[in-house]
Amino acid sequence: MKKIRTDIAVIGGGPAGMAAALEAKRQGAGDVMIIERDVEPGGILQQCIHDGFGLHRFKKRMAGTEYAQVFIDEIEQTDIKVLTDTMVLEVTQEKTIYACNSRDGMLEIDAKAVILSMGCRERTASQVLLYGYRPAGVLTAGTVQRYINLEGYLPGTSAVILGSGDIGLIMARRMTLEHIEVKGVYEVMPNPGGLTRNIVQCLDDYHIPLHLSTSVTKIHGKKRIEGVTVAKLDENRKVIPGTEEYISCDLLVLAVGLIPENELSIQAGIELDPRTKGPVLDNRFMTSVPGIFAAGNVAVVFDLVDYVSQSGEIAARGAVDYINGKPMEELSYEETVPAGNINFIVPQRIVRGETADTTLFMRVKKPDKKVAMDCEENGTVIATKRYPFVAPPEMISCTVTVSGSGPLKVEMKEGSGNA
Amino acid sequence: MREAIANRVKEAFPEISAEISVDERRIVTVRGECRSWEELVEVGHYIAHMEEVKNVVNEMTVAGMEIPHKDYTAFREAGEKKGVIDRKDVVIIGAGVSGCGIARELSKYNLSVVVVEMSDDVCTGASKANNGNIHPGHAAKPGTLKAKLNVLGNRMYDRWAEELNFRLDRCGAMGAICDPKMMSALEQAYQVAVANGVDGVELTDGPRALELVPELREYDGEIIASIWLPSMGLVEPYEVVVALAENAAKNGVSFRFNTTVADILTEDGQVKGVVTSEGIIEADYVINCAGVYADEMSAMAGDKSYTIHGRKGTIAILDKNRKPEFASLSSVLTGAEVQSSSRKNKESKGGGMCRTPEWNILLGPSATEVPDKEDNTTTPEDLDYAMATNSNDAAGYSDIIRIFAGVRPADYTEDFIIEMSPVTHGFINVGGIQSPGLAAAPAIAQMVEGILIDDCKERRIPVEKKKDFDPVNPKKVEFRHMTREEQDALIQKDPRYGRIICRCESITEGEILDAIHSPVTPGSIDAIKRRTRAGMGRCQGGFCQPRVLEILARELGKDKTEICQKDGDSRILYDSNRHVTPGGRER
Repeated sequence: MKKIRTDIAVIGGGPAGMAAALEAKRQGAGDVMIIERDVEPGGILQQCIHDGFGLHRFKKRMAGTEYAQVFIDEIEQTDIKVLTDTMVLEVTQEKTIYACNSRDGMLEIDAKAVILSMGCRERTASQVLLYGYRPAGVLTAGTVQRYINLEGYLPGTSAVILGSGDIGLIMARRMTLEHIEVKGVYEVMPNPGGLTRNIVQCLDDYHIPLHLSTSVTKIHGKKRIEGVTVAKLDENRKVIPGTEEYISCDLLVLAVGLIPENELSIQAGIELDPRTKGPVLDNRFMTSVPGIFAAGNVAVVFDLVDYVSQSGEIAARGAVDYINGKPMEELSYEETVPAGNINFIVPQRIVRGETADTTLFMRVKKPDKKVAMDCEENGTVIATKRYPFVAPPEMISCTVTVSGSGPLKVEMKEGSGNA
Repeated sequence: MREAIANRVKEAFPEISAEISVDERRIVTVRGECRSWEELVEVGHYIAHMEEVKNVVNEMTVAGMEIPHKDYTAFREAGEKKGVIDRKDVVIIGAGVSGCGIARELSKYNLSVVVVEMSDDVCTGASKANNGNIHPGHAAKPGTLKAKLNVLGNRMYDRWAEELNFRLDRCGAMGAICDPKMMSALEQAYQVAVANGVDGVELTDGPRALELVPELREYDGEIIASIWLPSMGLVEPYEVVVALAENAAKNGVSFRFNTTVADILTEDGQVKGVVTSEGIIEADYVINCAGVYADEMSAMAGDKSYTIHGRKGTIAILDKNRKPEFASLSSVLTGAEVQSSSRKNKESKGGGMCRTPEWNILLGPSATEVPDKEDNTTTPEDLDYAMATNSNDAAGYSDIIRIFAGVRPADYTEDFIIEMSPVTHGFINVGGIQSPGLAAAPAIAQMVEGILIDDCKERRIPVEKKKDFDPVNPKKVEFRHMTREEQDALIQKDPRYGRIICRCESITEGEILDAIHSPVTPGSIDAIKRRTRAGMGRCQGGFCQPRVLEILARELGKDKTEICQKDGDSRILYDSNRHVTPGGRER
């Protein structure tokens, strides 16, 4: 078995992993390695040919591929080693990584610090309890995107989309442009799951109807899907009898949520947060296992790639500090505490007694307008932010200087009403 | 006899006017109109459970309900047009565990055998959609053919597993009790198991139970006794069927997929062959392993002697991250499971909580009577039933990675029907093979072998064992079960094992290529899944489906648009009108 030593090993060469590797280099790290399972780096951005990426970071609208290329080009200018077509099978608490590919066989990679950036996967038909037959033509939005954008095939001619998450909205437009008739987007919740800009640009502009509080209750067709039954749901998400409607289609696209891909983290005994389904992180984005950091959608599902890259850079700075001997074993922590309309906060905890600029990523529970958010450390308000509009699909990010003197409570009180 | 049966039915079902006829074999045919499908099934069972009745042909209808019947006309016409395409000694209808088991058994002889299957692959019906339990035989009614073949089949599985190299996990099963009131029920279960000849069955005291199943120490109550069934086994059912088919094929059996049998040819009470959708196959023997359609095949052969009513079972598979509490299939019996009012089906309570040999928790199956034999739809009610068997507090709906359903081919006696047809010689019925059909499969195969070989001898058809029969399948590469060193050595030898295609189950390209180039070629995404597990994990093929599809197209020399998910028109991709280069496809 081939053994490799490296200072920093980054698992996953998507936007989080690439940003992390580059930042580690900038911070003076020695050997940095990216392990990527696909044949080239870029991650899911490789199939994101639509624009809207990079607004925050590059102040312009870029395609996903374009955004990725900036990082790929930059990596080529460094000595960062990119191991492609290589699958990581295991990460241990001692930061040993087992990965394999056709060229090297099994690799045993000993890293001084590890950055997890495996991204997320899509929820499936069984996971959202779709009933009926199990024919061909029921695909997740990401798989449809891959077939159309990367492989040049169409997986259907008339489609129903379940779920109004961003990928579902993007695919509604994409399929329409490819002459697949999109019959409608159906959303179980009373509010859309995706960004407002995507509702406007992907549905409204193409006259694609969005049906809220409506779900697919049955899949028809034994071999290839022939249609779906949709029905209105009441406030308890139960079907309202008599509202069932049959819609014929030969493709059902599922955009019903993303799950951080933490199988390697679980194997390594890393503590997960049941709310984010990602590792519990501190303000360096270090997990509960010292020396193992996490960034991007494996930590929490972000809405914007700009935040994903930012999280990679935070984790990289933490990893470099770690290998430079900054004490990070057996730290004691103060919790970050969401209050009011705040649903969750990443990082989940901050290092006690340490003054540091800390970036908080948060989501709200429900839409609201004209709200104020207080960050309160140990009872003292250290920052107040105002937002004209908040909604669960749009992540909130703010950077505050914390002293680690006590719990960091972030509270958003009710504003001027539902947005 | 006719009158007596008619009177008893009238008494039990006063609202129904049932028309009863009985033939000399004591087979009862019942006609008339019921108010519901459940009632129709109940009438069938009621008559079949009369001691003097051999079996029931249920031709009743349901008011206001169109009962789906398969129309074979187009298949038959197509086949007749194509004329005779083959001539074999034996035609086996159906490539489930019975059909493939029998095919492999007969491949020991100098007989020409073909298996015809309406679907695109082996193991697509009831053999696929079950919990993979190799039941010890404690649950079958003593004295039935089922009880006998179950216990015998269970015993024969070790040899099958050894020769065919599939995974058999003799995990054992325990029903433990804390409540002294449950003692008599436990003793009764023990007596039934003993009567059936179940191997190694033990009635134990508390300490012995804890010794056998240490995990029970975690249980809150004090275990006072248990029934221990060491012969309980677990398999992945499709692994068994694929292994049987591959071994049969290796020993000369041929397979015809996407081929529907539409008629049985007979002459002077002797079977002559089958008309399939792809043409006529002449044969001296036809073995009917057609699952839910076995009764229809038998009727085509002029032997209308039973009716199959489909009983749907829904199963939920949970994420491997949720670990089973027990290595064995063990539980503490409280009595609630017997009295449960949610138990809808008098003839079958369905299955409970168990695990797969790959350590996924498996819940169900449920048991719901369905008029459509191909109704394998999942419903919220059936899923709730399956999930109610869950005794692991930590596991729940959010752990589900797959829900599926299958239809059991049940007849009204709820026993197996394995016999040479007394009406059409050479036509052998293997009908009503529902649970524990998987466990009984080796014994069923052996029994059918006996019937056929004895008949050959009687008819002076020269039949002898082949000298070159090879009972052994080579062990398949299973990357996921190897040590890191073994994995490394494997990749060094063959780099194709270094590319992981299915990340959830760690399935390599090499394993997928092994499956494609095996004796029974898989052509669809699901066929690859059954052989390799690619797509069986938590992401359900979201990641690997495009990759598997690409490999299939490449290896089979097909366009990607020709690759199907399963049988019939289940294509995944249509052509695009766009050119994509580079990295994508080129034209």
